[in-house]
Parts: sequence; structure tokens; C-alpha cells
Amino acid sequence: MRRNLILVVLLLGLASVTAWVTHIGRVGFFMMAPPEKLLAALREHVEIVLVAEAIAIAVGIPLGLLLSRRSFSRGAPILSAITSVGQTVPTLALVGVFSIMLGLGLRSAIVALAVYTVLPIVRNTYAGLTSVDARVREAARGMGMSPAQTLWRVEFPLAVPLIMAGIRTSTVLNVGSAAVAGMIGAGGLGEIIMTGVSLRLVEMILQGAAPTAALAILLDRLLETIGTRATPRGLRLALRRELAER
Amino acid sequence: MIELRSVTKVFPGGARAVDNVSLQIHQGEFCVLLGPSGCGKTTTLKMINRLVPLTAGEIHVGDRDIRSLRVTDLRRRIGYAIQEVGLFPHMTVAQNIAIVPRLLGWPAARRRARAHDLLELLGLTPADDYLRRYPAELSGGQRQRVGVARALGADPAILLMDEPFGAIDPITRERLQDEFLRIQNEIRKTVVFVTHDIHEAIKLGDRVALMRDGRLVQHAPPAQLLSQPADDFVRGFVGTDRTLKSLRLTAVRDVMGASPARARIGDTLVAAREAMDKLGKTVLPVADDEDTFVGWISRTVATGSGLVGARVIPYLVLGSPGMPLNEALALMLESATGQLAIVDDERRLVGLVTFETLFERVRRPPEPPSASEVQP
Repeated sequence: MRRNLILVVLLLGLASVTAWVTHIGRVGFFMMAPPEKLLAALREHVEIVLVAEAIAIAVGIPLGLLLSRRSFSRGAPILSAITSVGQTVPTLALVGVFSIMLGLGLRSAIVALAVYTVLPIVRNTYAGLTSVDARVREAARGMGMSPAQTLWRVEFPLAVPLIMAGIRTSTVLNVGSAAVAGMIGAGGLGEIIMTGVSLRLVEMILQGAAPTAALAILLDRLLETIGTRATPRGLRLALRRELAER
Repeated sequence: MIELRSVTKVFPGGARAVDNVSLQIHQGEFCVLLGPSGCGKTTTLKMINRLVPLTAGEIHVGDRDIRSLRVTDLRRRIGYAIQEVGLFPHMTVAQNIAIVPRLLGWPAARRRARAHDLLELLGLTPADDYLRRYPAELSGGQRQRVGVARALGADPAILLMDEPFGAIDPITRERLQDEFLRIQNEIRKTVVFVTHDIHEAIKLGDRVALMRDGRLVQHAPPAQLLSQPADDFVRGFVGTDRTLKSLRLTAVRDVMGASPARARIGDTLVAAREAMDKLGKTVLPVADDEDTFVGWISRTVATGSGLVGARVIPYLVLGSPGMPLNEALALMLESATGQLAIVDDERRLVGLVTFETLFERVRRPPEPPSASEVQP
């Protein structure tokens, strides 16, 4: 409840900042982005994020699943190395590299973002599936479930909370990183920020940054709710009980 | 029903977990695998449903080599119960119990009916109430019951149980053991049950296979394990109080003897004294005209003249024929006379247990079959 209140206050603050800098219209010689341009940039931003995230999910979950299988267990240390190193590579560099490889524009931005944000999903899918209680897994096998049945009926449902947390982290990361995509001409709120940076106009930077932050907060909250809904009821009860007993 | 022939398991790395174990478990038998942790009992159990592959030897289940069956088919024919954490937390009780039936393709209505019946069998009533619950909404003891119900899901002939009552408090465990014995008397499954608890082994097993360092040390009915330990290890494992433990294996009816001599409330005290002298006893039970037990008469109170009825020492405790001897002993210690009157449902005197009876039983251990007659 209190958390929601803080969230609403924060969002209202960011919205008023955006409204205010848009309202002032011009600073000296320079025009601020007019409302319709801001809205178009916001829509572009959301589109970039959604497409990149969809790719990251479509690639990340199967990859994490594959790595969690016993026959691929040798890949697991390599994965954790890639994830920890991968996360330290600056988005800027990644976007730069892909723009050189694939050219400027939307396509290379989306590819760069997907590559960057797939990592938390792979890592959490892997962690979720491998953290299933060994005894639960053995009970499944012992009762005569095939490996595929064990995976779909037992391991996967139990991994849902962690997988959803991975998607949430990845999405928030995506919203922020998508701002960098503006640098290579992919559009979105990043373009307004970049213009503001090159013109040394704090107002204009804010005009792009405030809605970006608001978007991240909003999506984070939305995905938290979806994550809770997607978690099987019995598992939710078990987690709550575990917390209470601690 | 289950036969292990020279079964050996060597884990990668060279650890010899099970070493040349041969074991026959008959249909309807309750076999307990007992031993300290690391003795190979769980590994032995898991080799039966191929959760652990054999290194050498053979295992036959109902005349078929377990390797000749598809592994999932084999496991679906064998009930498997482990400690309560083995329940699937995201599934309801009904779904948990119906796992094997579902794997076998039973229609939904039949699965539900089966889950309902099993909950009733295990005393989780009203069953409809429990079907919809999740494991997190149950107590430890209830989860344990659901675990047993799940193992019985598709009505397998064989049950493998790996310390199924391990993780619960002693009182609940005792009750679950009693209930499981009652159920087993009804359904007569072939059970292989792993435990490290000697009390549990003695209470539940028709025969107990005691293991140490991967080897089978002694495979015998509980009474024999207690009275004739094969070596010092067995003697040490069953404990110095093995005599007391063995009392639990005998029911009062097996030792109480024929209908005991008694005084009647209408007898004269003189007659009672004469009877005691003749029998060489200092205490006699007293019955009324309908043969109902009313108390005791002893030499100390049977003085002077009059009728027995006026001097009866009231009884404090009563025994029943189905009671195990350890409970009878506890009651005797509370009895006014140091003896325990055994009465039937109408409180008619049917027998007597004295310290002499117990001494005799301890010196001359019971024949194995009597063990199964103990009613918890």
C-alpha cells in the first residue's frame, strides 16, 4: 500500500516534469520537442522495448532450459561467465558494435538490446529450473514421469517465479538501454535526450529522460503483478508460508 | 514378489554403496531396510525402481527382470513415497494423488474418485475438503498422509517407502505408523520401507533387513533380530533395552494363559484364604455373579470372617487381550497388586498378567508369527 503510494507520487512527479519542460516551448533559440513529437517518441520507445524484449524472451527461456539439462551441464559455467561479463559491457559499446556490423537504424538497435537483455532471462531460467528441490524432481521420476513430463509438469511451473523475475529485470534494463539506441538513429525517447546533450540543454534532456524513467517504473510494477499472477497458486502459498516461518 | 540377487552398486569414484546383497521379499510382506546412515539402505531401495542403476546382480519384480521393462512403466507399477517435501507444491492434493493415474491415462472422473477414496482411507476427512487444498495448506502429518495416498494412487502391488515418516514429530509419527499398519492389514501390499529407527522397524516390519557398510547383516523377523542378534553390530544397533523392545512384539493374549482362578464376591473370606493357600498365591482377582471383574482380594485384607465382597480392593487399571506386552507392563506398574487383570469387552475376566508371565516370555522369546497379531 505504502509502496504503491510512493510509486504514484513518483510517477506524478515525472509526469509533471515532462509536462513542464514541454510547456515552456523554447529555451533561447532552441525549440523543445512539441507534445505530438514527444508522444511519437514515446510510442517508438515502447515499440523498440517490446520487440527487443519479445526476442530476448523467445531466445532466453529456451536457452536457459537447454543449459539446465544434464547433458548440457558443462555449458553452465560458460554461461555464468558470459552473463557476468556480458552485464559489465556498456550498452553504449554493444550498440556501437552492432551499428557498425548491421548499419545505423532501428534493426541494429533492436538486435543490440535483445542481446544485452537476454542475459538475465537465460540466467534466471537456468537458476529457476536447477533450484527445484532434488527430492521433488526425484519423486517425479520415481513415479514414472518421463524427462519431458518432469520438465513441463513439475520443474517449469516451479521455476515460474524466477523466470518472471528475470523477464522483469530484463525489461527494466531494456527501457534504459533503449535510450542509447537513439544515438544510432533508431528513434525513441533517446533521440530527444541525445539532442539535449548535444545542445547542452538540461530541459530537453529532462524531456526525454523523465518519461523514460516513468516507463521503466510502470513496466516494472506491471510485470511484478503479472509475475505474481503467473505463479501457480499452491506455489505462492508455499512461498508465503516459507517467509512466515523464517 | 521382489527378489534381489547379488546386487551390487559401485558409484562413480569407487564408493561401494551396496555390496552383494541378496534378498527375497514375499507378496504382501512388509520388509524394513534398517541401518545407520550411509549403510546403503536407500540405494538398495532406489535400485528396485531403477532410480539408481545396478552395477552388478539382478532384481526381479514379480518374475520379471526390472531391466526388461520400460523404466517409466516399471515405476508406474510401483508406489513410491518419500519424505513430505516430495509433494508437488504447485498441485492440489487431488492432483498430487492422481499423478500416476494421470500418467496411466485414467479418465478425470475415475482419478477424482480414486483420490477421494484414498483420502478417506488415510483418515483425511471430509475428503472433498482436502482435495482442493495445496500442500502448503496442510500440516506436516497431513502432508505425510497425502504422500502415502499418492504412492497408493494407481493401486500398485508394491510400495517403496523411503523414511516416509522421518520429518515429523514423534507423536504424529507414532499415530501415522499405527494407521499405516491398520491400512496395510487391509490392503496387504508388498512394502519395502527404509528407516534408521529401530523402533519403527520393529513395530512395522514382518521382517527386518539390517544393513551395514553396504552389506546385509541380518534378515529376520523383528523378534528374532532382538532375541538372536547375528553379531555384535546387530546387538549394538538394536540396543541394550532390546528386551523391553521385544515386549512390544507380543500381544497379551499370547501369554495370559487359561482363564485364571478367581474369588466370587459371594464367597466367604475363609474360602478365599483356603483357595489362596491351595494355589500358593497372595492375591486373587474377584468377579461378581455375572463373572464381571470387580477388583482384588489379598491375604492382608482377607482376615476374619464375612464375605469377599465386603473387602474387595478396587482395581485401578485394566488390560485387554490385544494389548502389546510393553503397554501391559506399564499398566502393571500402576496396578494396586502388581498384577494386571485382562478383561474382554464386557469386562469379564479372561486372563491375568503377572511379572512371572513377563519373565518367562523374556527368557523364552516368542515364535515369529505371534508378532503380526499385535494390535496397536
